[in-house]
Amino acid sequence: MEYLIHLGILFTIYAILGISLNLVIGYTGLLSLTHAAFYGIGAYTTAILLTQTGIGFFLSVILGIIFVGIVSFLIGIVLSRFSDDYYALGSLGLNMIIFSIFLNWQSLTKGPLGILGISRPELFGINFSSNFMFLILTLLFLILTYLVARFIVNSSFGRVLKTIREDEKAIQVFGYKTFYFKLAIFVISAAMAAVAGSLFASYITFIDPSSFALMESIFIVAIIILGGLADLRGSILGALFLILLPEVLRFVGFPSEIAAQMRQVVYGVILILLMLYRPQGLIGEYKL
Amino acid sequence: MEIFSQLIFNSIIAGAVYALIALGFNLIYGATKFLNLAHGVMTAIGGYTVFYFTKTLDWNIYLAVIIGILFAGLIGFSLDKFVYFPLRKRKASNMVLLVASFGAFTAIQAIIAILFNSRFQTLSQNTSAQKSFEIFGGVITQTQLIILASAALIMTGLVLLLHKTRFGKAIKAISDDEEVAKIVGINTNKIIGYVFFIGSAIAGFAGILVGFDTGIEPTMGLDLLFKGVIASIVGGIGNLYGGVLGAFLLGFVENFGIWKISGDWKDAIAFALLIVFLIFRPRGIMNK
Repeated sequence: MEYLIHLGILFTIYAILGISLNLVIGYTGLLSLTHAAFYGIGAYTTAILLTQTGIGFFLSVILGIIFVGIVSFLIGIVLSRFSDDYYALGSLGLNMIIFSIFLNWQSLTKGPLGILGISRPELFGINFSSNFMFLILTLLFLILTYLVARFIVNSSFGRVLKTIREDEKAIQVFGYKTFYFKLAIFVISAAMAAVAGSLFASYITFIDPSSFALMESIFIVAIIILGGLADLRGSILGALFLILLPEVLRFVGFPSEIAAQMRQVVYGVILILLMLYRPQGLIGEYKL
Repeated sequence: MEIFSQLIFNSIIAGAVYALIALGFNLIYGATKFLNLAHGVMTAIGGYTVFYFTKTLDWNIYLAVIIGILFAGLIGFSLDKFVYFPLRKRKASNMVLLVASFGAFTAIQAIIAILFNSRFQTLSQNTSAQKSFEIFGGVITQTQLIILASAALIMTGLVLLLHKTRFGKAIKAISDDEEVAKIVGINTNKIIGYVFFIGSAIAGFAGILVGFDTGIEPTMGLDLLFKGVIASIVGGIGNLYGGVLGAFLLGFVENFGIWKISGDWKDAIAFALLIVFLIFRPRGIMNK
């Protein structure tokens, strides 16, 4: 039972990451590979604030959102000038740079050793230190993220995003400054990833740079492509599927070292097969 | 002074390796117009094939190198045949091809880690006995001289192949306009298949050289891929000479960049160079 709760928490965190990235990739059509960096900045903000100051978890989440908002704004200014494969490449490069900072700014992030002893949150006398309570907390955040995302995609703002995806030139002709739309959704999506990062840091109570490497970004991309681009429920489905998959592999009986690699093989093969036979994912509407 | 000449040597050697990766990458990009991210893993395929034949089967080292090069080429060729060709036939977008190639990268890298293990290994028989030469106070090893010589050889060979043969002209025709090339009777898919073979074989060879110089590990492909991609973009994507120029520029920037700071920042510097070029000169140095 305890293990199921653990999987549930991981699932909700990745569902938040999937939903938020889907706003950029699925709805706006920009293949961003920087998501793990924002997830990481959120996690590090919470970790550093909780271990070195007296600030509580919820305040650290807000500060994390603000900080990631600023960083993603600056990055977004650079990225929003690009489109298609150059966007993918630029965002990938920025993920690598931020990863280097996590790894090498040792006085702040403790480098590869990571940060230990991050505490669990407490609010209005409710203690979230048990895993069950924490699952409820992450579920609340997931629902909140889903509602915000749904509001965005159903609004007129969301329709502009979809038009950028379908034909950016056409909507520019109508006088829309697509640069600002791309930038805005990028910042919103990054801020959501920061929340997921804070939850992750507080749940695992230990973080190191390896959790926020490029492979993590690829994993989140795999989640939303599998579930379906431009479909929020698809991202939840994708997260569920890819979180449960390793458990199936373990059930089959691979030793743990090989199981970790088998997982990578399966992710890779899934991506290839999806691209070959179903580029819109399980229930998505948009094909890359 | 010693440091200075050593840095120059290091830059040139790094540049030569990156140039080999960039050559194949640009050749493939020129013919297909998509970023083939699976290109990086060819280095690991080459390196581990040689490792298997020399260390496990105890074969002759030159024979093993030839097998390694051919095997990397063959994998590249098969990827085109079974993944990229069906996608191209369906007029899939560049993003689909990019994601599929990254899927292939992830899966192959993990398969290598399962077959061998994730440890760092070296290809050379006895590292301590390696001959080295001192020039202007800098040290250069015999392996590194072989790297420089073979890189120069391959570049010359490729230039001759492209400019002096019918095959080379066909590649150029496809790079300019695939449809027109098809109309004038060039079997474009066959030629593109060969291009994948040649490009991947060169990358495999680069991996083998790195294996003799420092060592191999399953994840070596990612780093080399990025360096090759950055070199290509900086020099001018799809332009062979540009790729070589970009590779040496990257080698110098990277090695001189860490003159006064820790070597851990090397990757961040390389990606910063990429971002700078993406912003100010996205077509690279050579492309108009």
